[in-house]
Amino acid sequence: MSYTIALAGNPNCGKTTLFNDLTGSRQRVGNWPGVTVDKKEGTYKKDKEINIMDLPGTYSLSPYSAEEIIARDYIVKEKPDAVIDIVDGTSIERNLYLTLQILETGVPTVIALNMMDEVEARGDKIGAEKLSETFGVPVVPVVARNGKGIQELMEEAVKAAKEKKPPKKLPIFDEKLQGAIDEAKKLLEDAGESDSEWKAVKLLENDENVAGQVTEELKKQIDGIVAKAYGPEADLEAVVADQRYQYIAKVVKNAVKKGTTGHVETKSDKLDKILTNRILALPIFAVIMYLLFACTNSENFLFLGINSPGIWLAGIVESIWERLTDLAAGVLGGASPWVYSLVIDGIMEGLGAILGFIPLVLVLYILISFLEDCGYMARIAFVLDRIFRRFGLSGRSFIPLLQGFGCSVPAVMATRTLESEKDRKITTILAGFMPCGAKLPIFALFVSTLFADSNQTLVTYSLYIFSIVVAIIVSLLLNKFVYKDGASNFIMELPQYRIPTLKSILIHGWEKVKGFAVKAGTVIFVSTILIWFLSGFNFGSFNGTNAAENEDGSVMCEMNDSFMASIGNVIAPVFKPLGFGEWRPAVGVVTGWIAKENVVVTFAQLYDEDVTDEYLEEYFAQYSPEELEELGFEGGEYDAEAAGDIYSESVLFEGGDENALPHMKDDIKTKAAAYAYMVFNLLCMPCFAAVGAMKRELKTWKETGKAVAVQMVTAYVVALLVNVAGGLFL
Amino acid sequence: MALAMMEVGETREIRAFHGKEEVKRHLQDLGFVKGEHVQVIGENPSGLILLVKGVRIALNRGLASQIIVA
Ligand SMILES: Nc1nc2c(ncn2[C@@H]2O[C@H](COP(=O)(O)OP(=O)(O)OP(=O)(O)O)[C@@H](O)[C@H]2O)c(=O)[nH]1
Ligand SMILES: [Mg+2]
Repeated sequence: MSYTIALAGNPNCGKTTLFNDLTGSRQRVGNWPGVTVDKKEGTYKKDKEINIMDLPGTYSLSPYSAEEIIARDYIVKEKPDAVIDIVDGTSIERNLYLTLQILETGVPTVIALNMMDEVEARGDKIGAEKLSETFGVPVVPVVARNGKGIQELMEEAVKAAKEKKPPKKLPIFDEKLQGAIDEAKKLLEDAGESDSEWKAVKLLENDENVAGQVTEELKKQIDGIVAKAYGPEADLEAVVADQRYQYIAKVVKNAVKKGTTGHVETKSDKLDKILTNRILALPIFAVIMYLLFACTNSENFLFLGINSPGIWLAGIVESIWERLTDLAAGVLGGASPWVYSLVIDGIMEGLGAILGFIPLVLVLYILISFLEDCGYMARIAFVLDRIFRRFGLSGRSFIPLLQGFGCSVPAVMATRTLESEKDRKITTILAGFMPCGAKLPIFALFVSTLFADSNQTLVTYSLYIFSIVVAIIVSLLLNKFVYKDGASNFIMELPQYRIPTLKSILIHGWEKVKGFAVKAGTVIFVSTILIWFLSGFNFGSFNGTNAAENEDGSVMCEMNDSFMASIGNVIAPVFKPLGFGEWRPAVGVVTGWIAKENVVVTFAQLYDEDVTDEYLEEYFAQYSPEELEELGFEGGEYDAEAAGDIYSESVLFEGGDENALPHMKDDIKTKAAAYAYMVFNLLCMPCFAAVGAMKRELKTWKETGKAVAVQMVTAYVVALLVNVAGGLFL
Repeated sequence: MALAMMEVGETREIRAFHGKEEVKRHLQDLGFVKGEHVQVIGENPSGLILLVKGVRIALNRGLASQIIVA
């Protein structure tokens, strides 16, 4: 016999921390309300018969935003065998408000008093036994973060699940209200409804969701009860809320001894004075964001002239991969040409192109997790609210957007916490504009190859700024012409600042690397093979033509005659106005929709030709003698022997970057076109995984299609502007 | 008066809310019930940081001006 125990509670009370502890999983924990947006099942480490369900946080069983609906529906409709109601001991009054509603539903409940470490540090004392007596359910003090009390909590929870005894009824409401509830309850029972107590209260409160489940007739009768007892204009909802809170106040007065009376300024309050200060808040935020990128992707870290941690780590990974490639090449020396080509030019080259970027993404991710875990996210959402409001969104939208810097999929899912449908729709579109970790390699490749002589760090930063500016403009336009209902409210609890544990930060980093490894081993791996095949073969490979023509008898063909070239040539004209109307870049855009990492993978495979003498001669032919002299040719005369060195030293690799793919210059000739290409990939449809997430949030394919269309049109128009304007000014 | 007019450090009692029904319900769930004390502990151009039932809650100014206190 297996049992399901659900974890319910207010947002940010520690449900997921407890879930991870109980099940050994590594679900996202973060210090702001609304981290978990979907339910998640796991099995209890110590007893495989017990399933544990992590739920999104909710303030009440009358949901306000989409993720709260998931929590409510699970508790009242799917009915777990027991609920562990997690109560944040540092804000016990507010947390017990939900507790009362959970108890009302009749589901067997155990209360976990969490954050006891912080409660003790404040000098507060909570009488767990007294609470237990009052509520008639077990109350167990725990510290989810370090596992204290968890064993006992689970023993009680399992017992409750097995006994299936509903909690006792509490004397919360006064006689008049209870009378009305009893009357409504009777009506419900006569109509054959289950869970009548809870439903009766919700109906009196005029909860739309519950009202929708009963007949019109019943609803009218219940309105009649309200009108009889409280008059026709009565707002029972306020009465119910008030009486619940009054009951809680009594309970808390009896069971909790506060260490201090009144509000004393805490460390969090002091920090807030600075971090949400009317003048300092925005500059501090700007500095933090700058540091975030400086640590990740800068060759002049904090102007010290050294590489940032991200770049430094990347160098190590790349050199290891190079050795591996050499090793593989040695082993495969005797193998047939196409095997060699598949492994070395296809898989090793393709995966190698993105592998070097994992450290960058890892560093970025670790830094973002630090921000998420310390409690700053809620503050910055608040601080930015004023600015976001100007272009029609609430500051809450910042949270999904920042997550978009890591990955679009969780970013799109996080839009669920936004209260208005308009905000959700717009933010879903904007999330796709963000420079996610997988787009980073595109920038790095382009910058090192085509902007070798510019300030590379600046070019990369400019793309981040670009994505934000475009997001602002698109949001403004959508608010002006499509949705006209103004910005929604900003209501957000600001949690205690907490010092993130090293463990949780490392876990986030590790999860990211693991996720990437899985992606590299599946989607990207298959893509490399597919790209290799499509770019090395054509029909001639299968009817013997190639084998007859090639000297070595290989069935492979020239890249320009491959399947891929044929496909690319069909799409390429579309991109002509954007400056990159050749088949290779066009194919890159398309493979990028499978996974954005594929853009770089594709380039690495398609431009992986050696710099030949003919190429060099052709390349330098574009320069006048004076220019040639300037580049380093003695007497301004082309010299085949010196050409190779001059090419690699002064033309392309001023930064000394061996990742560059010189042949990209053949197709993407100007800086304007190169920038346009980056911008197009930054803004166009995100990868399929993200589109899938968009579909889940927007519900229908029609809405998803509209959102993707906005992204595509934006990408095209903006890239066109970049190419045209760049052509004029550069 | 409106909550938005309160100064940092001031504590007052909630009287009424003039706004959308579902927002009102959400605020009630967060502890903004009639007769409850709110203290303003911070303020910036976005809005106010309030202390309600021992919890810090940030509200934008527009919303804060719909809450009536005395
Ligand atoms: N000091 C302390 N902090 C805790 C404890 N349990 C959780 N936390 C912290 O509280 C914050 C919220 O934890 P989560 O587990 O993400 O909370 P949640 O209830 O899942 O939050 P939502 O998914 O947003 O509803 C994190 O910063 C945790 O590190 C605890 O027992 N003591
Ligand atoms: Mg959670």
